[in-house]
Amino acid sequence: MSGPLIDFDRVSQIYAARDGSPVWALSDVSLRVEAGEFVCLIGPSGCGKSTLIHLLAGFLKPTSGAVRFRGRPLDGPGPDRGVVFQEYALFAWMTARQNVEFGLRMQRVSAPVRRRRALEALDRVGLRHAADRYPHELSGGMRQRVAVARALVVEPEVVLMDEPFAAVDAMTRTTLQEDLLRLWRETGVSVLFVTHNIDEAVFLAQRVVVMGAGPGVIREDLAVDLPYPRDRGSAEFGREYARIAAALARGSRGTDQSDGERRAA
Amino acid sequence: MTAATDDVTGNDLSSSRRPALEAPSDRDAFAKEFRRAHRRGLRRAAWLRALLNVTGILLFLAVWEAVPRLGTWVNPVLLPPPSVVFDTFVPMLLSGEIPANILASLRRAALGFGIATATGVTAGLLTARIGLLHHVSEPILHGFRSVPSIALVPLSVLWFGIGEGSKVALVAWGSFFPIWITTFIGVRDVPAAYLRSAACLGAGRLATLLLVVLPAALPMILAGLRQGIAVSLILLVAAELSGAREGVAYMMSTGHQMFRVDIMLIGLVLLGTFGFIADRLFVALIRRLFPWYTTAS
Ligand SMILES: Nc1ncnc2c1ncn2[C@@H]1O[C@H](COP(=O)(O)OP(=O)(O)OP(=O)(O)O)[C@@H](O)[C@H]1O
Ligand SMILES: [Mg+2]
Repeated sequence: MSGPLIDFDRVSQIYAARDGSPVWALSDVSLRVEAGEFVCLIGPSGCGKSTLIHLLAGFLKPTSGAVRFRGRPLDGPGPDRGVVFQEYALFAWMTARQNVEFGLRMQRVSAPVRRRRALEALDRVGLRHAADRYPHELSGGMRQRVAVARALVVEPEVVLMDEPFAAVDAMTRTTLQEDLLRLWRETGVSVLFVTHNIDEAVFLAQRVVVMGAGPGVIREDLAVDLPYPRDRGSAEFGREYARIAAALARGSRGTDQSDGERRAA
Repeated sequence: MTAATDDVTGNDLSSSRRPALEAPSDRDAFAKEFRRAHRRGLRRAAWLRALLNVTGILLFLAVWEAVPRLGTWVNPVLLPPPSVVFDTFVPMLLSGEIPANILASLRRAALGFGIATATGVTAGLLTARIGLLHHVSEPILHGFRSVPSIALVPLSVLWFGIGEGSKVALVAWGSFFPIWITTFIGVRDVPAAYLRSAACLGAGRLATLLLVVLPAALPMILAGLRQGIAVSLILLVAAELSGAREGVAYMMSTGHQMFRVDIMLIGLVLLGTFGFIADRLFVALIRRLFPWYTTAS
């Protein structure tokens, strides 16, 4: 395949506010992501991070510009782009295993194969023992693990994650991050990961895309050249952290002063 | 992968006896004991509940028995005590009169309710998923919904005669609306995250409808069906009172004509029992079919 896996080409997204006035969620945004990359999007609230994810997932069509996936313009959602939502989007009426099997079922994979692959996927996120539980019987962290397994089992080329670990406690979050990195390296899938948390971005990403609000733009695109697994206590980690914090501060100084508190790591 | 902790559900056993869970055999034994204690607790609660239910019924019967016998201000002809009602009930039951009437009423209610379920759920699904259909049908459906169904009894008799047709049609008509409207709301309000998840996993229209939309809307649909059961009973009585040759409400109206309050009371008790049993069966069925539903909500 020639060219990048994901290509946002001068994309603008304008919503209509309730009174009919235009809201510039994204203004002239260009972004390329190569196959296998792990990219974090970070930025103040309302800068269009979710909008970017929704465009690539195919839930939205851009007002102007083009979103290309493997060189082709997008036409709606599809199993080549997995999505993990912040809120729990697991089907409440299916067990963990049935949730993971859903995508395979849509591909008409036979029941025994489906079952085996779903159990393997659950095994990879450490939840094989919980395969027959319903989502409401799982903790928040466990549900997000199932959601990750469900997105990955159909072998998408990219997983889009919109603040997937924002609602779980700090300790679970750390484990989830480590698991995600391991899965990423095992599968070679690309990851586009939205976060508010600088620490999370530095721990996970090869590239951190810093966005700014009003209208939503990309301010800086920073490479994080640290080997995995990363050590939160190391001096290099601290330096990368400071670099991204500074970029965020630069971005918000000009436009939006009120979002500082949301960036507390 | 480490932190997948098994959270133990709250139970008296976990707080009172917390053994050291070292060897796997210990753990198994503990799990077995825990499960047994949990089941025992549930069973005891169920028994206690049944006992209290029966006590309530007996208390009610006792008061009913006492009032016409003790109170001089009550005419026992207008309010016969349960013993008298029971004496009327047994021969009517044995002669087959009551079973025949019950059967006739049940058949009408079930048929009408079945028709209402099929049409109501279909209409709700279609109007919620297809915007065009929704806007076209909106004024008509809501207009008809605003007419109290009882008002249609005379018209229904004119159109369908006093045979089975008019009764089934009335029951179906009345229970259609709550089923339709709750299905509509349930389908309309399916969380976007469900629909998006399904789309991202490659689900087509039909699969989304059957595997995602319907189950997600099910709690609302079931609430509508439950309401429909209650409405069916109301219309069943209205239809039978307006002219019938058999049925529980018909039996009551003949009791009325013969000035037999005991027969009318038998009818009332039967109707109350119908409603109660239908509701309980419904809830039990749901719990069986959809284990995630009752526990999740
Ligand atoms: N459906 C919509 N209708 C109108 N405006 C919208 C809609 N969705 C988003 N917006 C606006 O577009 C802008 C970008 O929203 P978006 O959700 O992409 O931001 P975000 O970066 O994900 O924010 P957060 O960090 O709070 O999740 C915001 O100003 C928001 O108010
Ligand atoms: Mg967002």
